[in-house]
Amino acid sequence: MTRRTRTSRLVAVPLCVGLLACSEAQLESQQGAGGPVSPTAPGSADPGRPTPPGEEDGPGGTPSESPSGGSDPAAPPPPFTVPPALDDPNFAPAAARLVRLTRAQYETTLRTLFWPELAVPADLENDTPLHGFTTIGGSELTVSPRAAEQFEAAAADVARQVVTDPARRVVFTGCEPTLGDDTCSRSFFTAFLRKTFRRAVEAEDVEAFVALARQVGETLRDPWQGLGHGVSAALQSPDFLYRVEVGEPDPDRAGGRRHTGFEMASRLSYFLWNGPPDAALLDAAEQGRLVTDDGVRTEATRLLEDPRAEAALVRFFGEYVNLERVDAIQRDPALFPQMSATLAASMRSEIEALFRDVAFTRNAEFAEVLTSRRLFVNAELAALYGLPFPIDAPVDAWVPVDLPGNHPRGGLLGTSGVLAANAHRTVTSPTLRGKFIQNALLCFDVPPPPPGVTTSLGEDAPGAPPKTTREKIAQHAADPTCNGCHQFMDPLGLALEHFDALGAYRTTEYGLPIDASGELAGAQFRDLGGLARVLRAHPDVGACLVRRMYRYATGHLEEFGEEPALRELYDRLAAGGYRVRDTALQLVLSPGFRLTSEGLQ
Amino acid sequence: MNRRTFLRGALGGAVATIALPTLEAMLNSHATALADGTPLPTRLGVWFWGNGVRRSHWTPDGEGLGWQPRAEMAPLQRVRDYVSPVTGLEIKTASHPHHSGMTGILTGARYHQLGTTRDTIVTTFARQSVDQVAADLFLAQGVQTPYRSLEIAIADFYGTDEGTTFQHLSHNGPSAPNPSEYSAARFFDRIFGAGPLEPQLAASRRSVLDLVNDQIRRLQNKVGANDRRRLEQHFESIRSIEQRLGNEALVCRVPGRPGDYPNIDGREQLTEKNAAMSQLMALALACDLTRAFSVMFSSAGSGVVIWPAGAPNSMHQMCHDEGGDQPVVHQSVVFIMDRLGDFLQALRDQPEGDSNVLHNSAILCTTELSEGNVHSNDEFPVLVAGRGGGRLKGGYHYRSAGRGNASHAGLTVLRAAGLPAAEFGAAEGRVVDHLGELFV
Repeated sequence: MTRRTRTSRLVAVPLCVGLLACSEAQLESQQGAGGPVSPTAPGSADPGRPTPPGEEDGPGGTPSESPSGGSDPAAPPPPFTVPPALDDPNFAPAAARLVRLTRAQYETTLRTLFWPELAVPADLENDTPLHGFTTIGGSELTVSPRAAEQFEAAAADVARQVVTDPARRVVFTGCEPTLGDDTCSRSFFTAFLRKTFRRAVEAEDVEAFVALARQVGETLRDPWQGLGHGVSAALQSPDFLYRVEVGEPDPDRAGGRRHTGFEMASRLSYFLWNGPPDAALLDAAEQGRLVTDDGVRTEATRLLEDPRAEAALVRFFGEYVNLERVDAIQRDPALFPQMSATLAASMRSEIEALFRDVAFTRNAEFAEVLTSRRLFVNAELAALYGLPFPIDAPVDAWVPVDLPGNHPRGGLLGTSGVLAANAHRTVTSPTLRGKFIQNALLCFDVPPPPPGVTTSLGEDAPGAPPKTTREKIAQHAADPTCNGCHQFMDPLGLALEHFDALGAYRTTEYGLPIDASGELAGAQFRDLGGLARVLRAHPDVGACLVRRMYRYATGHLEEFGEEPALRELYDRLAAGGYRVRDTALQLVLSPGFRLTSEGLQ
Repeated sequence: MNRRTFLRGALGGAVATIALPTLEAMLNSHATALADGTPLPTRLGVWFWGNGVRRSHWTPDGEGLGWQPRAEMAPLQRVRDYVSPVTGLEIKTASHPHHSGMTGILTGARYHQLGTTRDTIVTTFARQSVDQVAADLFLAQGVQTPYRSLEIAIADFYGTDEGTTFQHLSHNGPSAPNPSEYSAARFFDRIFGAGPLEPQLAASRRSVLDLVNDQIRRLQNKVGANDRRRLEQHFESIRSIEQRLGNEALVCRVPGRPGDYPNIDGREQLTEKNAAMSQLMALALACDLTRAFSVMFSSAGSGVVIWPAGAPNSMHQMCHDEGGDQPVVHQSVVFIMDRLGDFLQALRDQPEGDSNVLHNSAILCTTELSEGNVHSNDEFPVLVAGRGGGRLKGGYHYRSAGRGNASHAGLTVLRAAGLPAAEFGAAEGRVVDHLGELFV
């Protein structure tokens, strides 16, 4: 059943490409994270999963609160059905590449290298995300003249902070530099460059910086200035600004390459902490422990237990569901009185809290994100949702709310952030909302409309009776040219029609009753609750998480040769419901994460 | 020859004239060139807005010098002697609604797609944008300006995820965008803010950059060809700082640091910010800080809300949703052209020799499609502004009778800026001829 569903969807794609038109949603949607029309569909090797349930709901429905989800620890583990990627002749690890630190990683790295209160200059280039992720932009784009200027100014500024603080500088360097004697400088740079370059440093590396410090110290007659200029150079070095990945011969695969221990240290820390490796991780690299299964497992487990992992994976999730679009939500307060200067930020916080709760506090199956009955609200969200809020709570307090069974909200698709970010400024867009579900949650891509097609829905004649949004977009379904693509989006988004363009609940539109029924691959539902349950049971939701996390963690769009590694991950994770920490751990153990090939030519 | 010296004057408001006493003293008796015979600089610029026009209100009536603007060009009447409408051209490399037009008009070629497994495609430019072509040609002529190029943007960018083609205008090749500065205060600080650097400090910072570039060179030996190219751009970026550092002759200082322009009740201060940024760019050009520049008023497929035109929704969404003859989209284009008028006026009001900065510029003003509701790439909106230092007639409506190649516009501004470009564009987009009718 699962396989048949997937097949029908794949067959539909060329048809869609040929007929696409009439979108109200595609490019203009400023739409976020995308995905492949994959030759190897996620979830297709997933025999143990239930098929999507049919009609079974009313508003709200039954809370789905089982933290252990589908994996009963007492039951024997299901047999793996996919061979290890390493046994698959089609497996080909991706080419090694330089991955420039994202802006957040750059800032975190500086604060970690020096001290937490370091004032990181604000004038830095913003990330350019590609394929939904800042890390992919970091592995693709170059450093423009302007960015180099900003790095130069920031490095000089940080170095100045370090060497002009008389109380701190000696503690930081461990010695007092003097003109005419490089001893202090040499010992400082030996330790500092290892941390800054995140690798073993050779005497040659160190001596170049010692020489610079000596020369500048003498020119300016100030040994601290000399040291500071060396620090500035280190902070502009490509070994600092990029995660340098070259790889080394893999003794276990003739002709193959793997990431070095130090490369693995940065891969692990920038993925799991969004920051640099700590001393223990660099030591593990130096001792050869990050090229072994046990070593990677041990260190990754340690990293995942650290609070930094929660923050880092929340950031991943934010890029995954494109919270940048939530940040950009704007509404006319005259039309939406509940709009405020802080509401968009509240919406983002709510979604992040939902993810933290499911992935970390409860360690639940990932799809619980879609059906969770536990929300987190502050005063303005409580007001928007019509939920009680403790009258004596501080104005900026956040409280968990376990929704009553008949409450129409619940899960990610019931958050105002997702509902509003995928709506127009004044009216809802079932197309945009459906596209979000297909694209972000199911990794199913719907092509954009071609040039030369009128995409506006036209205007009603003056005095004509009002129409619901469902009635207005019915022309998508009626016109085969439009329906080739819209059939994948509109029926999903229509299930969310009980929520207006800001995400507030409504029972009517223009005084007309709302019909929020829809279907996904034959599974019928009547509203958000039903849609969420269908999605929860859908095998592609967890597989899509893997695929997106893989992109984010590796910093590139997955290649055909990596599909066996992805299939292996689906197979290993499906039975456990793709718990987020499990997924991250299995991902870093995957050969797709640990092996590489010669750099791109 | 030091053209950059202390400038007196004030920024913002109605005060737009900055005296350039040293420059005046260096002119020849006719004020048409510098005293040593060096001609006044001619620059190449791009002024870009997103989402096209309403064709029925765009194309002027009449051709040649006697054209009459329709509503969307009416705001340019105040500088009409410097503006040449070019109509009837089309992008010959069209295959995608927005991406083709953006790269077609700015590079004369197709886009370069990044990855093939995408719904809404993710692309970058396959070639240099016209401002970067110009930057290289200026360098080849021996022109040394402090900045290879300057890029600014006005309306906020509303995060699309369609690659660098949507997010950035200027590109020095594939995946090598030159991001724009969005803050007037930061733009000021960058180009006018730095005081003189003591020679010893400048030398020390140059030593730092030398070491950084040594490290880039060492790393280049270890990586694949693709990363070697990326590092080469990084190397060049570092070198451009090095050349500028401590060269007092390249410093230009003006008073009047502008503030920033935060949104008021969720509305962008489009007019005010554009005016401030335009003024700064006029000064930067007067100081000869660069010969290649770009202004991105709004990005391709832009999410900017043109609220002064009564738009409740983003420009992109309005193009798709508004019915009838799209009166709000039309008024939005009128508003944007009024901002272009402000920009051109700021350049015109900046005296230079016996003329002004606009006279000594060649500016391609354009967008990424002709009409946003149908994503068309024919009847492509193009204005050639400035007189290229006297090479262009100005105020001439050229209409292509035979759906000419839009790449002619790029080659026209390159040659109008005095650059020896042999061709522009690639494949179906390639041209070797400029639009001769626009030239004197």
